[in-house]
Amino acid sequence: MASKMKIGIPRALIYWKRPYFWEVFFENLGFEVLLSPETNKEIVEIGVKISDPETCFSNKVYFGHLKWLEEKCDLIFVPRLRRKGNFEYCPKFFGLPDLAKILVHPHTKFGVGVKTKILTETFDEKKKKFEESLVKLGKKLGKQKEEIEKAFQEALKKEKEIREKQEKEALEKLESNLKKIILISHPYNLYDEYVNLRIKERLEKLGVVPIFIEEIPTSNIEHLTSNFEFPQFHWEFAKEIMEKINEILKYEIDGAIEISSFACGCDAVLKEFVEKKFKENKIPFLYLIIDEHTGEAGFQTRLEAFIDTIP
Amino acid sequence: MKITFPYWGNYTIAFELLAKKLGLEVVPPEKTTPKTIEKGVKIAPEMYCFPLKVNLGNFLEAIERGADTILMPTALGGSCRLRYYAFVQDKVLKEEGKDANFIIFDQSLDIFSKMKKISRASFFKMISATIFTLKVLNFIEKLEKKAQYLRPREIEKGDTDRILNSAFKRLREIQKFSELLKLEKEVSKELDQIKIERKKVPKVGIVGEIYTVCDHAINFEIERKLGNLGIEVHREMSLLYHLKKKIFFKDFFIQRKIKPYLGSTVGGHGRDAIYEMLKYVKEGFDGVIQLLPAYCMPESTVRPILEKIHQETKIPFLSLSLDEQVAEAGIDTRIEAFVDVVKNYHQHNANRCE
Repeated sequence: MASKMKIGIPRALIYWKRPYFWEVFFENLGFEVLLSPETNKEIVEIGVKISDPETCFSNKVYFGHLKWLEEKCDLIFVPRLRRKGNFEYCPKFFGLPDLAKILVHPHTKFGVGVKTKILTETFDEKKKKFEESLVKLGKKLGKQKEEIEKAFQEALKKEKEIREKQEKEALEKLESNLKKIILISHPYNLYDEYVNLRIKERLEKLGVVPIFIEEIPTSNIEHLTSNFEFPQFHWEFAKEIMEKINEILKYEIDGAIEISSFACGCDAVLKEFVEKKFKENKIPFLYLIIDEHTGEAGFQTRLEAFIDTIP
Repeated sequence: MKITFPYWGNYTIAFELLAKKLGLEVVPPEKTTPKTIEKGVKIAPEMYCFPLKVNLGNFLEAIERGADTILMPTALGGSCRLRYYAFVQDKVLKEEGKDANFIIFDQSLDIFSKMKKISRASFFKMISATIFTLKVLNFIEKLEKKAQYLRPREIEKGDTDRILNSAFKRLREIQKFSELLKLEKEVSKELDQIKIERKKVPKVGIVGEIYTVCDHAINFEIERKLGNLGIEVHREMSLLYHLKKKIFFKDFFIQRKIKPYLGSTVGGHGRDAIYEMLKYVKEGFDGVIQLLPAYCMPESTVRPILEKIHQETKIPFLSLSLDEQVAEAGIDTRIEAFVDVVKNYHQHNANRCE
């Protein structure tokens, strides 16, 4: 038997939107999955060199991962995420598969793309159910509908398991007697420890309990209606974050930290309203911007100063 | 109620006339200057895109002159930050202690009901004001197009701009359809009298974000500068083009044309930039300039694609991101260097054709 086909998945950006899901899905379809390693200095450096200078830091990191996977696998999976329900993803996600094909060469700056073939599929839930798009993706790889659906269920199961565990832990943390800090950001900033300079560990060392906004249970969340003070966002992450903030305000929280990657356009909007929300509720708020130049010392100082201000 | 709105190139005149026609009291925004930008930047969120900061500067100046209501157009559809401009501007102005009412103009059909609410004008009056505004917009764009053709060819440098400036000055004063028609006739006569040299000149297409390409105060009058350096400028993107595109679902055709380069929208006018650049290449242009506000999400996403087209077709390409830190001298140098490249390219192509 011929060796299994190897599918590469960059461990950055959209991967963190559904961690484990894609790996489990492809593995159950009978493929070998190669995840790029956790972000490191080399990946960031190469990413910065090969992407547009004005795109956001997270995108640059993603392209670094993409480049790492080059020629290490048969296909690289870059989905085009358009909508989740009626809500849009960040517009920068829309063009990822196209940009992956024309990434510049790090030295000549000539658009050469990645040498490995890109596997892509559009996920637009307003036009087509997620499952249908998934079947289409599986068929591209020569799989039968039944197999694909089975793999999908397996992946969902695994995702749910992890999600439940995270939510349980988050709830436990919310009951803690120590100072509680809520960390607000996109999952690709929260879970990527190199990118966020291990903020979780740093906070724990300072004796506070960091809680990721991502892990707040969504089961009994209230949906927000639009008013002029807080607009109704058309971005899925923005809607989720605003709703989760409302939820978290029901608990006693001692402080909030928002992390943005540099040049993130969506965060420029979101930050204004997140900050407003916490200020209204008299909760100390710290805003941190991360990029390839962020120094550890400065970062640590700001965190320490912030923790000291919390009563 | 004294109404104001952001400054946007020559279109400002059309909006001013619209408001006047509806019987509203207007505080027209003054032309954006580096001082305006400075004021806006001071209070605006740091990472927000550049046009928002400029708008805020305009508003601050207008509020000083007595405006209390701000008309802010925002985008319907299009995954761009323009959607949240009014919300953020309102918040920022309130924090500064400047209280102004916001009327959001979101390009949907409830424009009419909103206009009715604020102006209490009759339906007929609104329709006639709208048609009048469209006519004025058409006139403005026609003049701009004409100037793009005349500038590189005029014998006495500066003739075109002199006539253009006086035309826009007179346009601000008109009130009736008949006056508009009269002005149109007069100006076209004046423009016809400009002595020009009929010759082939290098052609450059301008693509990019609609606000920056149309507002000469932000883009350092790039069209005039290129024209005076002997370049014929073409620009597809304009307000009427945008409106027409919405009405005729042109996005669908654009998407089909650019399929090999981009598989979906990226918000804003991202796709249009690619479409226009491909068109310019096909029509044998000698260069393409992309204008964008720094960190503009759609435009920075498509820039690598434009660069790819430039590498494939060898057409000279220059991308200028504009923000509060850009200095005019720097832009001038880059434009001049680019014009040299364009002229060489033009010469080279002309030689090859012979």
